[in-house]
Amino acid sequence: MKFDLAWLTEHLTTEPDADVLAQRLTASGFLVELRENVAGGAVWDVEITTNRPDAMNHRGLAREAAVAVTSGLRPLAVALAESDEAADDVAAVEIADPELCPRYVARIVRGVRLGPSPEALQRRLERCGVRPINAIVDATNYVLLELGQPLHAFDLARLEGRRIVVRRAHEEERLTTLDGVSRRLQASDLVIADGERAVALAGIMGGADSEIGEGTTDVLIESAHFDALTVRRTARRLGMHTEASHRFERGSDPEIAAVASDAAAEMIARLAGGRVCRGRIDVYPRPWQARRLVLDVGALSAFAGLDIDPSRAAAILDGLGFGPAVDGPRIAVTVPSHRVDVERVADLYEEVLRHVGYGTVPARLPVLRTEPGRRHPNWELVDRGRQAAIAAGLAEVVTWSFVDPDDDALVDGLPGCPGSPLALANPLAQTQAIMRRSLLPGLLAAARASLNRGERRLAVFEEGRVFASEDGQPREAERIGVVLSGTTEDGRVVDFADLKGRVEAILDGTCFPVVEWRRGGSPWLDEDQGATLEIEGAPIGCAGLLAAELAARWDLRQPLYVAELDLGAAMATPPMPQYRPLPRFPAVTADMTVEHPVGLEYRELIGAVEELAGELVESMELENRYSGDELEGRVVRTTLRLVYRHPERSLTQDEVNAAQDRLREALARRLGVGFA
Amino acid sequence: MSTSRLDEARAAFERDLAAAGDDPEAVERVRVAYAGRRSGLLGELTAALRELPKEERREYGRALNELKELIGQRLETAKEQARTAGSGRGRRPVDVTLPGRRPPRGAAHPVHMVRRRIESIFLRMGYDVEDGPEVEDDWHNFEALNIPPDHPARDDQDTFYLPGGSLLRTHTSPVQARVMESREPPIRIIVPGRVFRRDSDLRHSPMFHQIEGLLVDEGITFGHLKATLEAFLQDLFGTYDVDIRLRPGYFPFTEPSAEVDISCIFCHGSGCGMCSGSGWIEVLGAGMVDPRVFEAVGIDPERYTGFAFGIGLDRLAILLYGIPDLRQLFEGDPRLTRQLS
Repeated sequence: MKFDLAWLTEHLTTEPDADVLAQRLTASGFLVELRENVAGGAVWDVEITTNRPDAMNHRGLAREAAVAVTSGLRPLAVALAESDEAADDVAAVEIADPELCPRYVARIVRGVRLGPSPEALQRRLERCGVRPINAIVDATNYVLLELGQPLHAFDLARLEGRRIVVRRAHEEERLTTLDGVSRRLQASDLVIADGERAVALAGIMGGADSEIGEGTTDVLIESAHFDALTVRRTARRLGMHTEASHRFERGSDPEIAAVASDAAAEMIARLAGGRVCRGRIDVYPRPWQARRLVLDVGALSAFAGLDIDPSRAAAILDGLGFGPAVDGPRIAVTVPSHRVDVERVADLYEEVLRHVGYGTVPARLPVLRTEPGRRHPNWELVDRGRQAAIAAGLAEVVTWSFVDPDDDALVDGLPGCPGSPLALANPLAQTQAIMRRSLLPGLLAAARASLNRGERRLAVFEEGRVFASEDGQPREAERIGVVLSGTTEDGRVVDFADLKGRVEAILDGTCFPVVEWRRGGSPWLDEDQGATLEIEGAPIGCAGLLAAELAARWDLRQPLYVAELDLGAAMATPPMPQYRPLPRFPAVTADMTVEHPVGLEYRELIGAVEELAGELVESMELENRYSGDELEGRVVRTTLRLVYRHPERSLTQDEVNAAQDRLREALARRLGVGFA
Repeated sequence: MSTSRLDEARAAFERDLAAAGDDPEAVERVRVAYAGRRSGLLGELTAALRELPKEERREYGRALNELKELIGQRLETAKEQARTAGSGRGRRPVDVTLPGRRPPRGAAHPVHMVRRRIESIFLRMGYDVEDGPEVEDDWHNFEALNIPPDHPARDDQDTFYLPGGSLLRTHTSPVQARVMESREPPIRIIVPGRVFRRDSDLRHSPMFHQIEGLLVDEGITFGHLKATLEAFLQDLFGTYDVDIRLRPGYFPFTEPSAEVDISCIFCHGSGCGMCSGSGWIEVLGAGMVDPRVFEAVGIDPERYTGFAFGIGLDRLAILLYGIPDLRQLFEGDPRLTRQLS
């Protein structure tokens, strides 16, 4: 909120140094964000937290400033000249719902002439960001900015029966507010009505019908106190936010209403002429009850970790208007009417501590039991996945948790799709309206952006949650998505095996149980180069070449290899690797080239080899695969490299040769394959 | 037996080759002596095959082939060694200023790098790292934290709602409430995680990350909070040697509350664009746990006190790495990640 510095210091008994004042206000909880000169005066932008409506005006902040720089607060004096005519004889006020309006004060000023307010006052309002309008409106705004009491000036002649009735609105009652909008009201709204109809939305905005205008001669000034929640609900429902509602919503001071009405009447009479009628019309059916609290300074000192002198605490509370009575370490206080935020002793701790200064509290680390900190298993899991992906050469990206509904609709067919979509009730944009059920749409959009920038090589992953609704319950699951495209570091065009190698590295590093790769099963992937990943028959992800339709949808002009894995399928705790005796005798390696039909999958071949090879085969790996032209694409040659080893002696070449011969025979019988 | 001659030849070759060491000329002499086309020993041994009785030829032939292969391989290796390490002619120096051949390298996202650093600091202080759902209920996100319906603080945390009354958590604080509901003090946790607010501009992203901290025990003081945050920030900003300032603030779930600033790491406190001229940068919010929160989660506020804090993870990341716009973090651009790793 903007404060005029001169206006602020007018309320103090001494003129503080501006730098010191700014520093002390900040240290006591009122951050001075900006200091500048506007329209001929110093303006400070001060952050007032929502719990401190009492400081959203110059006098309120001056009260804090007086304590912060150890100055004093000037008494508030209004020199009001009244005419003989009694306000009570001119108008009447009735409160139909005292719960929602505990107090309503009205002042009458008769015989005003509408004109502009003086230059100096206009500039002061402008410095605080308020546009000058006319002397009467400016006077009400001035008092609001000075004392924090929202006011409203009615044209008395336009109030039917010169009556004010504070009541709930009728269902479907309509009111055109000052901004020209016709509002449809309901019974939970509080209105100010005259003898016939609603003329203002209580605590929010006046009505157009009863507005001050050129012909106005008599003015009724409203200075009231409204229930915070009622104002807040109505303002929210109607999408309104005004200076008045901002303050009433946070809680206004019922006791300031009378003084504020005096100040406004005095100003209007001074600036627009006219006579102030004698007395206020003050309807106060629910008088304010003071709250009393007792502060134990010893307990406060223990809580703060700082020895606080009771006399210092009392001085602070005195300056803030709490009327402290010191009795040894105990201080009895009365919470002033402007401090709607102070309800408990804990709130008093803060009052004293922030003015003693957080900076004076000595920093001491707590003495704690020494027990090692533990990470939640889910963090261990997702970071294992991340580490494995990073070790596989992939760069991590983060994309939005919400996606376009059109993109989400494509996700249904993905293996392991978690359920039905979870839509936001109030999205920021239609393109971010659904919680993602897969990481792939976000990753593909990011990939498109990268490729459009001219990048040729893509090797990225994302770890994050996907969301879905299952039986009406929201569900979350951790996923890893991978995108690979372009060339590898050594200049080769990436292919399925590059993707698979990285996915396998992630599966191993994250400690997944044995994963089976099955061709097909995912509409997102190319029919020939796509796989569903399964653990014991249940899908846990997919990997392969992005299908052409999807590539076209995301406008991707080069082949993209993608994968997505459900991290929830990994083991919660990785098993501790166990020692096996290291071999003491040398191994003999022997290659075997198997010639077989294309349709025989490697998994089946290697499964048969493992089963038939016997105990001497320690391990095997793929050495080469040939499916060149001369084989006419019907058969392939798969060369396996087998490692033979005997645990207790060196093997001879003859033994290995014999084993290879036996294996060839067995394989030929089992699979009908040949050998090259 | 005839193969014993082969064994002798093999032993002699090993001896001679070892003696030749890294000297290319000596290795060449060994080559000529054993594998030389005209007078090499292997030639002699091959010729000897014809003189053997038929029944011995097969075994001799196999052993001879093995020996030939072995000698060939060993000579190749020795020649290569002599060339690279040797002191004689034919060496080829490497241009050591050429770029090395690096293995493919991955990289972590800056937010997660900073998260891990912060986790490690608090783990060393004995805190547990907790986790919780991103889709929350109203109780844990608001009510248990002393933010009843219609509380003005709900305006500051514009919320994304989901059908059935659930919502996207607006802070990581609900995990505080969850842990306090399920565990007896002492409690010492931090909670990193993703949070959402319905807000998007230069300084706000509808999705961002926080780290919540909570310590509850008997006799916990405001001074403890201060020391803990100072220790954390000094460790995190280490080389910047920052000043730390706590000033009163407002959060519904702490009383008293504090905003924590560090002296601007760009201008060292003299005032610049990054700190809006103030010399200070707000890095986190903190405070002593409000007794109402303790009551809501069933912890005795007469017996226990505690402190809580909330760190804007993305904000710290952009500060530490000097990234100008928060939203750049979530554009999925791997160049950012690779650049900062």
